[in-house]
Amino acid sequence: MEKLLNIKNLQVTVADNEAEDASKEILKGIDLQVNKGEIHVVLGPNGSGKSTLMNAIMGHPKYEIAGGSLEFEGEDLTELKTFERARKGIFLSFQTPEEIPGITVENMIRTAKQAVTGENIKVVKFRRELKAAMKELQMDESYAQRYMNVGFSGGEKKRNEILQMLMLQPKLALLDETDSGLDVDAIQIVSNGVKKFHNEDNACLIITHNTRILKQLNVDKVHVLMQGKIVAEGGPELIEKIDKEGFGFLQGAE
Amino acid sequence: MAQEKTYIEDIERTLYDIKNVDKSKYKSQSGLTEDIIRDISARKNDPEWMLEFRLKSLEVYNQLSLPNWGPDLSELNMDEIVTYVQPDAKMTGSWDEVPEDIKDTFDRLGIPEAEQTSLAGVGAQYDSEVVYHSIQEDLVKQGVIYTDMETALHEHEEIVRDHFMKLVPPKDHKFAALHGAVWSGGSFVYVPEGVHVEIPLQSYFRLNAAGAGQFEHTLIIVEKNASLHFIEGCSAPKYNVTNLHAGCVELFVNDGARLRYSTIENWSRNMMNLNTKRAVVGKDGVIEWVSGSFGSHVSMLYPCSVLKGENAKCEFTGVTFASKGQNLDTGASVIHCAPHTSANISTRTISKAGGKATYRSAVKVTKNAPYAKCSVNCESLMLDDISRSDTLPTMDIEGDEADIGHEATIGRISDEAIFYLMSRGISEDEARSMIVRGFVEPIAKELPLEYAVEMNNLVNIELEGTMG
Amino acid sequence: MNKEIFSEIPMRTWNWLGVNEATVDKDLLVESQKLDIDIEADHHEKMVVEYRKESYGIVNISIGENASLKLTQLQLMPEERNHANEVNIVLEKKARLQLVAVETGAKSFASKVNIILKGDKSQADVSVLYFGDGDRSLDMNYVLDFQGRKTVGNLEVYGGLMGESQKIFRGTLDFKQGSKQAKGYEKENVVVLSKGVRNRSVPIMLSGEDDVVGNHAVSSGKINEDKLHYLMSRGLSPAEARKLVLEAAFNPVLELIEDEVLRQEIDSYIKERLENE
Ligand SMILES: Nc1ncnc2c1ncn2[C@@H]1O[C@H](COP(=O)(O)OP(=O)(O)OP(=O)(O)O)[C@@H](O)[C@H]1O
Ligand SMILES: [Mg+2]
Repeated sequence: MEKLLNIKNLQVTVADNEAEDASKEILKGIDLQVNKGEIHVVLGPNGSGKSTLMNAIMGHPKYEIAGGSLEFEGEDLTELKTFERARKGIFLSFQTPEEIPGITVENMIRTAKQAVTGENIKVVKFRRELKAAMKELQMDESYAQRYMNVGFSGGEKKRNEILQMLMLQPKLALLDETDSGLDVDAIQIVSNGVKKFHNEDNACLIITHNTRILKQLNVDKVHVLMQGKIVAEGGPELIEKIDKEGFGFLQGAE
Repeated sequence: MAQEKTYIEDIERTLYDIKNVDKSKYKSQSGLTEDIIRDISARKNDPEWMLEFRLKSLEVYNQLSLPNWGPDLSELNMDEIVTYVQPDAKMTGSWDEVPEDIKDTFDRLGIPEAEQTSLAGVGAQYDSEVVYHSIQEDLVKQGVIYTDMETALHEHEEIVRDHFMKLVPPKDHKFAALHGAVWSGGSFVYVPEGVHVEIPLQSYFRLNAAGAGQFEHTLIIVEKNASLHFIEGCSAPKYNVTNLHAGCVELFVNDGARLRYSTIENWSRNMMNLNTKRAVVGKDGVIEWVSGSFGSHVSMLYPCSVLKGENAKCEFTGVTFASKGQNLDTGASVIHCAPHTSANISTRTISKAGGKATYRSAVKVTKNAPYAKCSVNCESLMLDDISRSDTLPTMDIEGDEADIGHEATIGRISDEAIFYLMSRGISEDEARSMIVRGFVEPIAKELPLEYAVEMNNLVNIELEGTMG
Repeated sequence: MNKEIFSEIPMRTWNWLGVNEATVDKDLLVESQKLDIDIEADHHEKMVVEYRKESYGIVNISIGENASLKLTQLQLMPEERNHANEVNIVLEKKARLQLVAVETGAKSFASKVNIILKGDKSQADVSVLYFGDGDRSLDMNYVLDFQGRKTVGNLEVYGGLMGESQKIFRGTLDFKQGSKQAKGYEKENVVVLSKGVRNRSVPIMLSGEDDVVGNHAVSSGKINEDKLHYLMSRGLSPAEARKLVLEAAFNPVLELIEDEVLRQEIDSYIKERLENE
């Protein structure tokens, strides 16, 4: 199986806002491999460092890699800028998507697609694809002309993230709580979207607090993150166990 | 020191441009004299009342002092104001004299060469004259008058006399007085009752008509229940050697009428742009201003709407982009003088590379305007820490039935927004310029397509090389 | 004229608006009550300044590193007297200021408040209440000057105007170059209760620094009709309802006054005015 993402002993710090010049260690040595064709799930209590992991993979400037390695398709990611990582085929669905006034959804996705593929995008064909994808996600067409996430409800923002994923067709999709804030039907829609997206050549890394989104997906591996460390790993059975018992039984696993 | 240099450069230019004229005559005169005004008036073949008007304005001009607020105008040498006023001194003599940066901008805006030379004042007027004429025919059928101010003064003397500088009286401020004394050129539009002019009229077509561009006067009258969209200026930098622009725009929007007045202004970077624009709006009438300020060295521009009739409305949308060496002091004012009048002011300002952008406004609600409503929203974006952005609004409200709201924000491009766009594969530079374009989008979308595209180009040109 | 310019806005605007400067009688500025206070590093103080008969008062304060001050300034001058007051405060690193200012007295008054957020991470929270009735004239000029990094300044102003009172409130957030990551917020809510009022607001924001967040908002309007209606539907008379709504509007400032007796005094003063209307 082809290795897509390879993380070894990753340590991530963030500049502390309160104490000057001090930085806080959030991830304390993470190992994680994701192969093509796989779906991985990361579980963990609030504040355990899940979003930090995603941000570090995507290259958020606030999160500093203090140690370890981060490779994508055998290539070191740490020296690459965020947009270069995106162009390699990494996509992050944000836990809290940004509102960007003045940029329409259509314009945003077209510009991104152009950037990622390096090709000139034909407008007519693009529009057709966008419409189809929006239909799939049961988004009203008019949203294409609205400004990015401005005035969108929480659930609409998340659908807009998945819309971008479908349109950009990344090799690795990082989904940070894409299901939170969605109603039951919307979770189904998003879950369908992920299912449709997923194939032998790409992979997903999903963060969630809710097992519903995973129901129709074939999860390969589950990682449990607590206080910046992976404290347990296993197959889909781990999801059920945690769903029933909470994280309690893992306390002190370190 | 700097002041002296500018002054000498001005003089040199002036001398160069009027080399056929007896130099000593101009040298001996400091300040504006009655003779000069009489001379201008005679050359224009003014009716007697206009000469009187000019002379009265001169008197007012000599009495008034420069404003004690706003940008520093000390670069204007008021003692030598005559050097700014010479009507024939403003166009360059040859293409070679047009500064490189302006030629460069022409190229980047994709303006054809014929048009470029015309804009720079060294070429003949280009083909759009033809377009203009065909529009003209159509308008004539509807009874619309669209002509230059000089022609209007002769052919429609009564209308001009009834309206000319009634809204902006010469005593308004020193540059209004100056304008009254030396005005020359400009557009005149009269739309009869009930007529809707479907296509926007553009002063662009007649930009290089004799005398246009420096002290031009625009007078627009939209009669009852009529409508018009007028577009002033264009996005190409208009090059002028003399560097004072003191135009005046007077808009009369009668009961039930609607006027949209759009401007994208990109004066060359040596220009002092001290323009006065004012509209008076009758019952149920609407004035819409769309105003983009990109050019000039110093600008003072605050279109004013006098909401005189019940239910009159004002919509103001403005964007100002101040870059290196620019001090752009812009904004709007609204005077509510009748019940149920309403106004909406929305502005965006951007400053970068040491540029200074000021938003200044006044909202006045008089006792006669119960149930007035006004909401102001102004956002400022700073692209670096060597620039300035100032916001100075004033609200003056009488009575207890007005509903007034004002909001302003100041800040820079959010790092999180850039990260978001970059996570989609968009480069950092492109992400920044997308966000800036998004910032001015509320204005761009109010413009006709070709102007919106031009404005985007302008923003891109402004942003080049400063990002990242 | 025996007038003197007492305060000016940091950036002038159109003269016809009459907001560029506040002038007061020269005589007023002769006699003064002056307080100079240094709050040493790491000290935490509370202070109440009351004006009941002084025609002119100045308070100069410096707040040392990590120190804090809660200053409550109440201007309760008799209604036939004129008054001017001035507050100058400099905050060092991580110093905190809470300023509660109430301006309900005097026939005509001018106040100027200048707060310099000099030290990094210093913070000032300023709450102002003003009330005008009769033919009184209220003139205020507040400046928050952001100099240090990560400084925070909030200016919240609640006002009520009735009768033929005239008011000018100028509030400036001035972000100086270098005040990186500073945050400034200003809001003024004015409730206008009668026709004869003239209400002027000048919310100014100046910035020579891009890495800041600045916001200001002003709203001016009648008393909230929905609220009145709600209260009247519960059996309150229009006058009672108005009182209650206005009181609620002023509460954010009133509740910051710790001294029960003083708070009652201001509260009943405002109520009394409302009844006289
Ligand atoms: N930019 C930052 N500045 C300071 N602290 C941060 C920053 N980002 C994250 N942290 C801290 O790091 C820890 C991990 O945060 P993170 O957002 O990764 O948690 P999470 O596992 O995604 O939680 P949740 O389930 O609530 O989304 C938290 O304690 C958080 O406060
Ligand atoms: Mg998270």
